[in-house]
Amino acid sequence: MNSISNYFNTSIWTIVSFVLVIFLILIPLASFLSYSFFTVDGTDIIHEFSLFNFKEFFVDEIYIRTFVRTIFLAIIVMTCCIILGYPVAFFLARYAGRYKYAILLMLIIPLFMSYIIKIYMMRSILGYSGLINKVLAMAGLIDKPLEFFLWNQNSVIITLVIILLPLIIIPTFTSLDKIPQNIVEASFDLGCKPFQAFKYIILPISFPGLVVGSIFVFILALGDFVTPQLVGGTSGFTYGKIIYSNFGMAFNWPFGAALASVLLFVSVIIILLTNYLTKRLNK
Amino acid sequence: MTRSENYTKYLLACLTGLIVAALYAPIVLTIFYSFYKSRKGKVDWGSFSYEPYTKLIFERQILESLMNSIYVGVVTVICSVIIGFYFANYYHTSKSKMKEFLQFIIFLPFLLPPIITGLSLLIFFREINLPRSLNTVVIGHTIFVLAIVFKIILNKLETLKPSLMESAYDLGASKWQAFYYVLLPNIKLSLIIAGLLAFTISLDETLITLFLIGNDTTWPIKLWAKMRVGFSKQVNASVTLILILTSLLVLLIASIISRSERKIMY
Repeated sequence: MNSISNYFNTSIWTIVSFVLVIFLILIPLASFLSYSFFTVDGTDIIHEFSLFNFKEFFVDEIYIRTFVRTIFLAIIVMTCCIILGYPVAFFLARYAGRYKYAILLMLIIPLFMSYIIKIYMMRSILGYSGLINKVLAMAGLIDKPLEFFLWNQNSVIITLVIILLPLIIIPTFTSLDKIPQNIVEASFDLGCKPFQAFKYIILPISFPGLVVGSIFVFILALGDFVTPQLVGGTSGFTYGKIIYSNFGMAFNWPFGAALASVLLFVSVIIILLTNYLTKRLNK
Repeated sequence: MTRSENYTKYLLACLTGLIVAALYAPIVLTIFYSFYKSRKGKVDWGSFSYEPYTKLIFERQILESLMNSIYVGVVTVICSVIIGFYFANYYHTSKSKMKEFLQFIIFLPFLLPPIITGLSLLIFFREINLPRSLNTVVIGHTIFVLAIVFKIILNKLETLKPSLMESAYDLGASKWQAFYYVLLPNIKLSLIIAGLLAFTISLDETLITLFLIGNDTTWPIKLWAKMRVGFSKQVNASVTLILILTSLLVLLIASIISRSERKIMY
């Protein structure tokens, strides 16, 4: 009797869970995917199957070119984050001693601080009469302000790195922090040079954390549309910005959905690949 | 410690210092500009005043957007903690093989680019004729933070011994009593941490909100709209106040976590 009622209970829990998930996540995703096969007529959306949007995507090469460029941009952002973030996580885990959690907290707090404000303020740091140009001019390194930093791809990259950097430091630190000091010392006793110890012990153990952080940075940089809008100027537009404009002024939701479904496809592949990779590494 | 290791240590310390400085530069500038004026990139050092903070009381639009953000945050916390607890408990107790799949779906909105979550909800709401409002924003935020809330509560549930609930049942507790008197006190801290984190994230969520917002505005959307005309000092003042609030929230979360960890150690 008891087991029957238990079984009944669990199956109700299962059903409720799945209904919730299906209505909140899966049906919205499905309706968005099906929109990518619709077309638009003026302000009406025609609910009929057509491959028009995808044809447009492949025929007009500006979309593919922007997409490829955005992927490169995200890779550059990710690489910068790794180059800057890994040494910081390494320093925290190995040398910062009892201050490590305090410094880690200092690095986490900016993550929760106003996203829009950070981007906006990057303008007054990178701009023509901004902080960087002023400091360089005061140091006597340049005669007139550099235009290298604002209203182009560089500004988008710098801003995204500043915003996303904590995301790579946190997981990398967590996996580095797990390495016991005596393992490293044992490798020294066995005749390892510092670089060898890093290459064969520290790097492999911290790799899964690094991968998780990198993927977060990559995907967020890939889909961002606010940063290019605010600091990108005319030459710094990205794929995300094109998607967003189709939902705003251009009012072509089906085409926007089609563009976004390409983004979804690439993101899902990357997530599954990472999942597979980290599982293999953990074995 | 060898000499070369010492050099690496100082080099890394410098890099860390530089990065902390870079991360805080935009924030420090905002606080600075809420007190000082600048003209054509030159700071007027004599213009210090805290007037923007007192004037903030008269800025109805900013205050209204702040209230909207707090409303959205609070409702998001309630919804996400209840649903998150439900899923975590289901995942923890169920033997069904489908639960891994369920976890994968819960994590999707968190892992995918926010633009996808935003626009798929936008299209869904249009198809079911649900007009955009603060409540649609709440739904978006709840889905976005659900994965984190779920994971925090699940981690806590997994540290509890199964004998805990079993002994409660053996002693004659009903399901509700066992939940209220045994399970809830044990996972209370994780619920608080998850709720605070959800609130902090919701307060600043921009990318999903931009798609789901109707005529009312939340605070980040107000900033987004104001940015085209440039910020007044009152806006900078409101930013400073919110920055203080979020830092306090994060510090609170951190202190709760470190205190509960110390408890486990003893």
